[in-house]
Amino acid sequence: MDILQILFWLLTVMAIGCALGVVLSRNPVNSVIFLILTFFAISGHYLLLNAQFLAIVNIIVYAGAIMVLFLFVIMLMNLNADTEPQKSWLVQLAGVISGGTLFLVIIAAISKVGHLGVIDKNATDIGLIKNLGKVLFTDYVFAFEISSVLFLTAMIGAIVIGKKEAE
Amino acid sequence: MKAIIAATIFGVIMMYAGFAVKEKKSIVAIATILLLLLLGVNIWEYKTVVPNAPSLFNFQLRVDSFTIWFELLMTACSLLYVLLIGKDIAKVGKHVGEYFALIFFILVGTYLLASFNNMLIMFIGIELISIPQYILAGSDKRNLKSSEASLKYFLMGAFSTGILLMGITLIYGATGTFNISNFNFLQTEHINPLVLTGLLFLIISFSFKVSAAPMHFWTPDVYDGSPTPFTAFMATVGKAAAFIAFLRLFHTSFGAISGSWMMVLAIITAATLLIGNITAIFQQSVKRMLAYSSIAQAGFMLFAVVSVNAIAWQGIVVYSVAYTIATLGMFAVLLKLKDYTFDGFNGLAKKDPLLAGVTTVFIFSLAGIPLTAGFMAKYYMLQALVMQGKLMGLVIFALLMAAVSAYYYFKVIIAMYFKQGEAELNPDYTTSDRVLLVVTAILVILLGIVPQLLLPAAV
Repeated sequence: MDILQILFWLLTVMAIGCALGVVLSRNPVNSVIFLILTFFAISGHYLLLNAQFLAIVNIIVYAGAIMVLFLFVIMLMNLNADTEPQKSWLVQLAGVISGGTLFLVIIAAISKVGHLGVIDKNATDIGLIKNLGKVLFTDYVFAFEISSVLFLTAMIGAIVIGKKEAE
Repeated sequence: MKAIIAATIFGVIMMYAGFAVKEKKSIVAIATILLLLLLGVNIWEYKTVVPNAPSLFNFQLRVDSFTIWFELLMTACSLLYVLLIGKDIAKVGKHVGEYFALIFFILVGTYLLASFNNMLIMFIGIELISIPQYILAGSDKRNLKSSEASLKYFLMGAFSTGILLMGITLIYGATGTFNISNFNFLQTEHINPLVLTGLLFLIISFSFKVSAAPMHFWTPDVYDGSPTPFTAFMATVGKAAAFIAFLRLFHTSFGAISGSWMMVLAIITAATLLIGNITAIFQQSVKRMLAYSSIAQAGFMLFAVVSVNAIAWQGIVVYSVAYTIATLGMFAVLLKLKDYTFDGFNGLAKKDPLLAGVTTVFIFSLAGIPLTAGFMAKYYMLQALVMQGKLMGLVIFALLMAAVSAYYYFKVIIAMYFKQGEAELNPDYTTSDRVLLVVTAILVILLGIVPQLLLPAAV
């Protein structure tokens, strides 16, 4: 066990534990805090994969912006009380069965994979900003440009839905 | 590619028109002119297509004559939509320019979905048709049902997008590429279990996007709650775009391993046909009936995906356009009426024989009666499945369900011709509306006689 492996297991336990915390905790504010911790753990995984840029963006965008927004919404709407209506046991059973089936399928798939053999040895520093930018502006330039249309639609949506409709 | 650029620019022009032009009628006119121009660009691109240069941007986009032909047809359908329903779009809310901009951006997404050769582009295309639809669903802000439809659609859509991404990730993990024509990994006998799991996720999320059976629960509420002019667009062009992507992904990249997903999809198809048709019988509102009928029609369109052969490609073109024209016509008729229930159609034949006549043509086409476009569309789909030959049970089941569908479609005709009542019409029903409805009905019949008009010259 070298230091990388110890770090990997530590982060993995943290990520899975916090993800369970998100689902299981009764208080929505606690859920959000757990989610932030999950994002930090996943960012740690990115760092282990030598993808610094992704790690930083993950923290800035998700843990920073989106989660703060979540917290604001929860606090402004005063959702921190335990007001979740209880589902009937039938719905709960259906959820457990379908979720468990999916879990089983994924576990079965992963256990049979073994060694994938598609890991590109030269691509270990692909996560650096320099290489990422190069790929983004050469191979994936079309996808990069066309996403601007997607953001434009999102902005229009914010205006159409958010603007006050005066009579 | 020219069309993608043009549609984006036209969308931006519509945004500016939204605040520069005050008169709502002129905004509709601008949108119509821009769509005509876009159709011109499509035709130009179709005429200048180079046969031996089938892809752009490092194999991310495919520009063969079939994809451009499909794009052209979708633009033509959108033009028909704006001509038939444009007036009613202007009545939904204040942001008319923005609505049309969103429609242009949905067209950009449609072009991407028709021509993608890379799962990244496919994902952007799917988002580009979905996000504007969430917005359009909620555009009638004073109506609680519209907001409910928007929120429901958004939450469910976001969830299915997550599943789609998970599927793409698993397949990328197993193959190491996003390029769908380069999945040489999949051509072998030994299939990686990760691919199969990813495939399952992709099937689930695409079934959601095309409202196939176990994932169809959002459809009636969203289609019923959204403003009727936008429901017409979602149920037609939006659906056709999702289907062409479904078909392209599953034929181009997973065609070689069709044995491992065909049965799952066949069961989904059968369930879609069953649930869509049976539930449609019990509806009181024609708008809600059309929502269930769109689920049932999706069952037929899934035939194209299930039968992996060349006729499926022709079939999806014919079906998309035939279904789109008939459905647009039905929604245009619905917008002329005050009452959307079946009772609202009572006695329409006496009050306005012309309107009742064109409605009958559209209904015939949706039910698949011979001499209408809908019949030829169903014919192509069944032919594709018969040629494939493995799922004859599904063919018989589909015929049975088509017979069931005639029951609820004909309830409209019975209401119009054999029931007493005073169908109330909207006051702004003009002569140009009549002409357009008659032209649409003639189009339905023309395509029922010569469906070859819809196929690209090369295929």
